Amino acid sequence: MPDIRILVVDDEPDIRATVSAMLEIEGYDVAEAPDGAAALAAIEQRRPDIILLDMRMPILDGWGFAAELRRRGHQTPIVVMTAARDAARWAGDIAAAAFVAKPFGYDDLISAVESARPPS
Amino acid sequence: MTALELISLINQVLFIGLFVVVLRRALRDRTAMSFNAALLFGAIAGTVVLARVADWLGVSGQAGVTAVTLILLTAAPFAMLRLVDDFSGTPRWVQIAGGAAFVGVSVLATLGFERMEQLVEIIIIVFFVAVGGFAAYAFARESRRSRGITRRRMMAVSIGAGLFIAAVVLVLLAALLPVPAPGLGIVGQVLALTAVTAFYFGFVPPTWMRRAWREPDLRGFLERSIHLTSVPDDRAAILELQGAVANAFGASGAAVGIANADGTVLRYADAGEWVEFPADAFIAGRAFQQQRRVVAIDAATTDPDNADTYAASNAQTVISAPITTDDRRIGVLSIFAERAPVFIEDDLWLLELLADQTAVLLEARTLTAHASELRAREDAAYLKEEFLSAAAHDLRTPLTVVLGQAELMERRLARDPYAPVDPAGVARMVREARRLRDLVTELLDAQRLEQGQILMDRVPDDLCAIVEVVRARHGERGITIPLTRPDEPLVGLVDRPRMEQVLENLIDNAMKYGEQPPRLEIGATGDEVRIAVIDRGVGIPEEERDRIFERFFRASNVQSVTDTGLGLGLHICRRIVAEHGGRIWHEPTPEGGSTFVVALKLEIPLIPAPDADSVPAWPSASGAGSLVDA
Repeated sequence: MPDIRILVVDDEPDIRATVSAMLEIEGYDVAEAPDGAAALAAIEQRRPDIILLDMRMPILDGWGFAAELRRRGHQTPIVVMTAARDAARWAGDIAAAAFVAKPFGYDDLISAVESARPPS
Repeated sequence: MTALELISLINQVLFIGLFVVVLRRALRDRTAMSFNAALLFGAIAGTVVLARVADWLGVSGQAGVTAVTLILLTAAPFAMLRLVDDFSGTPRWVQIAGGAAFVGVSVLATLGFERMEQLVEIIIIVFFVAVGGFAAYAFARESRRSRGITRRRMMAVSIGAGLFIAAVVLVLLAALLPVPAPGLGIVGQVLALTAVTAFYFGFVPPTWMRRAWREPDLRGFLERSIHLTSVPDDRAAILELQGAVANAFGASGAAVGIANADGTVLRYADAGEWVEFPADAFIAGRAFQQQRRVVAIDAATTDPDNADTYAASNAQTVISAPITTDDRRIGVLSIFAERAPVFIEDDLWLLELLADQTAVLLEARTLTAHASELRAREDAAYLKEEFLSAAAHDLRTPLTVVLGQAELMERRLARDPYAPVDPAGVARMVREARRLRDLVTELLDAQRLEQGQILMDRVPDDLCAIVEVVRARHGERGITIPLTRPDEPLVGLVDRPRMEQVLENLIDNAMKYGEQPPRLEIGATGDEVRIAVIDRGVGIPEEERDRIFERFFRASNVQSVTDTGLGLGLHICRRIVAEHGGRIWHEPTPEGGSTFVVALKLEIPLIPAPDADSVPAWPSASGAGSLVDA
């Protein structure tokens, strides 16, 4: 699946690195961003197919990022990943394709990403 | 009928009416005071009736009638003198002299009036002015010494006595004058009318007037006591309540006894502690047991077993009333007076009123306590919820990394058993596992904190040594922490592991937000040991400095720092320091950054040993030999 590009947005570097490593083993092409603002910049360059999005982040949080993304006309599917108990509700808030609640394991992550993957 | 005759008639009716009321009370109460009051108004009423009857029989002006009239009239100042003795006490000679003068004037009036009319009248005037004037003055003095209703009633009696004397003297003077002076007669009758009104107010005040007089005392009591519903300390509240009650009475003291649940013990607030007595002890105990007011005019006689206690409290007279609501016997209220009350029915009235108010206040206190207990429980439940939520969130992130890295490793090994170890992944795993451990420790500390089990035994320990230990621990990890300390030990009462935890926590915070090790300073200031942890980090915004010790609070300028804890660290520090009886505070480091200061009581000041070798090493128990008493 080298053709599937994923952007991982999370303010925790260790989470980003761990998630990226899992996705890379599965063959995805992964890029990272530490917050919503950096993610918006990366979108324009990389045009990811899926966005893995933490919700509570500094500078620009998940809600702000999702709103701006849609405003710019991108329909990229989003997978919410959060440690909050409200993961499902927050995913609904921004019309995410899927969500994965921290702490998640390998299989949880991959199946969430697979479910959000646009039909090729 | 002329106006003068009308006023005269009114006066006569009023005095007779007053006599009837006072006489009835004397027959009921059978006290010296009530009999003397009856004697006073009996004398006046007798004079009036006699004049009317003599007039009617056509015998007025006859010698016998005049003599009896004069004797009755002079009995009035004598009765006043007796009343003064009842109210405030007088030297024995005053009563003897007054009695002798009364007898002398009576004899003179009987035997000598015909022959030396003017001389007798002048002597009677002198008698009135001297004896009656003294009585009026004594009533006024007693009024000034009293409070509340007694003060006002006594003032009314004083005014009545003074005006009555003045009225009689005026009438007698008018008779002495060679020419008729009807003006003096009118003035005399008006004075008499005012006098009888004042006597009514003094001896039998109407209820509305008592209420009006009582109002300032009651208001004073309520103003002093209404805030007591929210005074947290029971004993302090009771002591204040007693002060308010004593003040309302102008009594030397008051006592509020609070009954226990089964009503077998009455608990009293003393300056330093609660004192408990069996529920039947003291005069107050009788009032509580019998659920009725008890008046002990002479407390030492009524309750001889406790005479010493009453003497010690300056309590000649004790009046007690039960504090009871509809369904609950709360306790008993007592007042102590240095002298027997003058108008005891008013004091009883006020006491029962205050006992009722006290019942309301104490009930309100109980309700307030219940309410705040409930609120505290709700708060605790909310905080627990909040806490669990925050804790769960903060635990999930490191757990995700540890789990994710472990599973990654598992997959890699499954694909290739000889796959090289990913050093960055292992480092992440270790880092996040440690973070998890720290969070769990913090959580457990917080949990213990909530259950109030945070502090173990406190023993005398050298704080310099504790600081050195913490510093050495960092040194082992290659972290050098500069320390400024005095040469001699600084001893405080310390739970050592907990104090080390406080210092570790402050140092960790400094490293986290200052990105380099802080400086430590320890020294004695007055009777305090102060330990300062000084960093040059991001500091704390001024408006947040008061809040940083709150639970879950994180300063706004560190929210973006990823590796934050639960926001419990400083809260735990403050709690530990507070349980040591110490203080912890933050102040900005002058060159930028934060300084946290822990101040503990310096328990045992040391004198520097003249020869260090001759002193046993601290902190062995025998080291006490080098100590002096504080």
